Amino acid sequence: MKLLATTTRYYLLLAALLFAAGTAALYAGLVWALRTEMEEKLVTERGYLTPILQRTGRLPLPLGDQRTLSRHPRPAGFSDTLEYDPVGRRWEPFRQLHFPVQVKGVTYWVTLRKSLLENDSPLGVVLSVLAAVLIGLLLSLAALNRWLSGRLWQPFHQTLAALRGYELQRQPATLRLPATGIDEFTELNQALTQLSERLGAEYQSLKEFTENAAHETQTPLAILQAKLERLLQLGARNAEMAPLLRDAYGATLRLSRLHQGLTLLSKIENGQFPDAVPLRLAEVVAEKLGLLEELVSGKELTLTYEAADPVPVRMHPALADSLVVNLLQNAIKHNHPGGTLTVRLGPHALEVRNTGPTLSGDPSRYFERFQKQLPGSPSPGLGLSIVQQVCRHYGFGLRYTYEPATGLHVLHVSTYGLD
Amino acid sequence: MKILIVEDEPTLRTSLVAHLQSDGYRCEEAATYAQAHEKIKLYRYDCVLVDLTLPGGDGLDLVRTLKADQSPAGVLIISARGALDDKVWGLKLGADDYLTKPFHLAELTARVQAILRRRQFQGHNALRFRALTVLPDRAQVLVGEAPLTLTRKEYELLLYFLANPNRLLTKESIAEHLWGDAADTSDSFDFIYNHLKNLRKKLQEKGAVDYIRTVYGLGYELSAE
Repeated sequence: MKLLATTTRYYLLLAALLFAAGTAALYAGLVWALRTEMEEKLVTERGYLTPILQRTGRLPLPLGDQRTLSRHPRPAGFSDTLEYDPVGRRWEPFRQLHFPVQVKGVTYWVTLRKSLLENDSPLGVVLSVLAAVLIGLLLSLAALNRWLSGRLWQPFHQTLAALRGYELQRQPATLRLPATGIDEFTELNQALTQLSERLGAEYQSLKEFTENAAHETQTPLAILQAKLERLLQLGARNAEMAPLLRDAYGATLRLSRLHQGLTLLSKIENGQFPDAVPLRLAEVVAEKLGLLEELVSGKELTLTYEAADPVPVRMHPALADSLVVNLLQNAIKHNHPGGTLTVRLGPHALEVRNTGPTLSGDPSRYFERFQKQLPGSPSPGLGLSIVQQVCRHYGFGLRYTYEPATGLHVLHVSTYGLD
Repeated sequence: MKILIVEDEPTLRTSLVAHLQSDGYRCEEAATYAQAHEKIKLYRYDCVLVDLTLPGGDGLDLVRTLKADQSPAGVLIISARGALDDKVWGLKLGADDYLTKPFHLAELTARVQAILRRRQFQGHNALRFRALTVLPDRAQVLVGEAPLTLTRKEYELLLYFLANPNRLLTKESIAEHLWGDAADTSDSFDFIYNHLKNLRKKLQEKGAVDYIRTVYGLGYELSAE
């Protein structure tokens, strides 16, 4: 619920409660005041009528009010009563006053009555005015709320929109927020701008670090590899030197592959692949399967490839390549000779199933870096980490399940997102 | 054939020069952006090897300059930077190929040759080694006069050998040449062996001598001896 709507709701609730209580108090007060007034009138009338009654032995004709004379004793004082009104055909409330008067030694009981109904109309007027005021108040509060949320909160919504649209990797500049006349929002915007400046600086330095690290490490590696290759040409026929050179050369290659993998991972994590283009995964899969054909046939794997007409996905081409190659390579590398490899490309999912060694424990731990099935394997164990990072980068869903019954390893990438 | 090597790292540069010279190319060197810029403005090259991170400038600007001057030189980017996304950029700018550091020198030769073939002869040249003739524009291999039918991988393998005659090709470099980044499976060496076995068999069936020599534990060599 919106902040302003919430506060307004409480305001309105309070206003309604206050109104109800106020109305009740007002009603009671008015009734009390009117009744007292009525009683005063009745007392005045008593004072006026008593000497007349004592003098004449009769009551003057009533004017609208009722006056009766009786010899039956009545409880003296004020009381309420109802009387039937034949014209209005309903019972109407009256206030009455009984009092005794001595006329020539005989006690008469006088009853004076005044209709309370006459007081109803000012009461009604007061109450309806109050109701109109409350409804007016409620409506104007609601209108004010709408107007305020449109106007007062506009800078807040602008800030929100700017934050939503803020992408560090696309324009690692500071966040541009409009100036506002409200201190709280100005403070918020200042804090956010500072945050974005810090983020931008961190991002920039991280990016530079990755680039420099890549350059500064790859270059000596390139030198090492080039020199070793020259040495290999010279020492290839030397039975003692050749194995030493071979091992050094192999280690250099492993190091450079590891380095490439790690650099790629940190680049994805830094979000340094912003240029997504629509591409068809089917084409990428077909191309990579062609490339890996021999690796598949060499291991005598039975390959099944099913592709539904897929919806293009928005990805950086290099990351799509990396995703597909790593998935396929993983499925080939960790397969039995003579096993199966099934690649299914649905409209929003890519699934790779393959036979492989029995897994115990949670298969998703292979998404962690340097986790490999064979500890002695020369591969650095980064393939599935790269797959995971690419999926995370694009918000794809990724599941790794092992089915012990069939011995199948299933990697499921859902381009729809987490399922 | 004249090649300009733009690389700021002196030790790597000398290795590249030595390697390409042994392939029979004339090489010139540039260590900074300014030097490279001056050279490409003054002289004509058949191929330019450009490192992207250079003192005094960005190698991509050299590629832009070459393209703006409509230079006939082929451009091969060699870089440690970015590898993946810079690759897309470099090729978009008009570079002919892109090689990520570190690379195999044999791979460099093969790439340079491919560029020169495409650039200078529009593909109309033949590669010859003894009785073997390869016509890359038609993807055809002849033993003497007789055509030889090869699979794509066997053909690529043969071409790689022909680009680097009398030179040891390590298994790793062959694997990476044939499968790229996907070569990262230890099994790939078995597949190289299988491809080579088939290639040798086909060559021998056509009466060619077995030119491919195994260098034990290291790799293979296309040898004239």
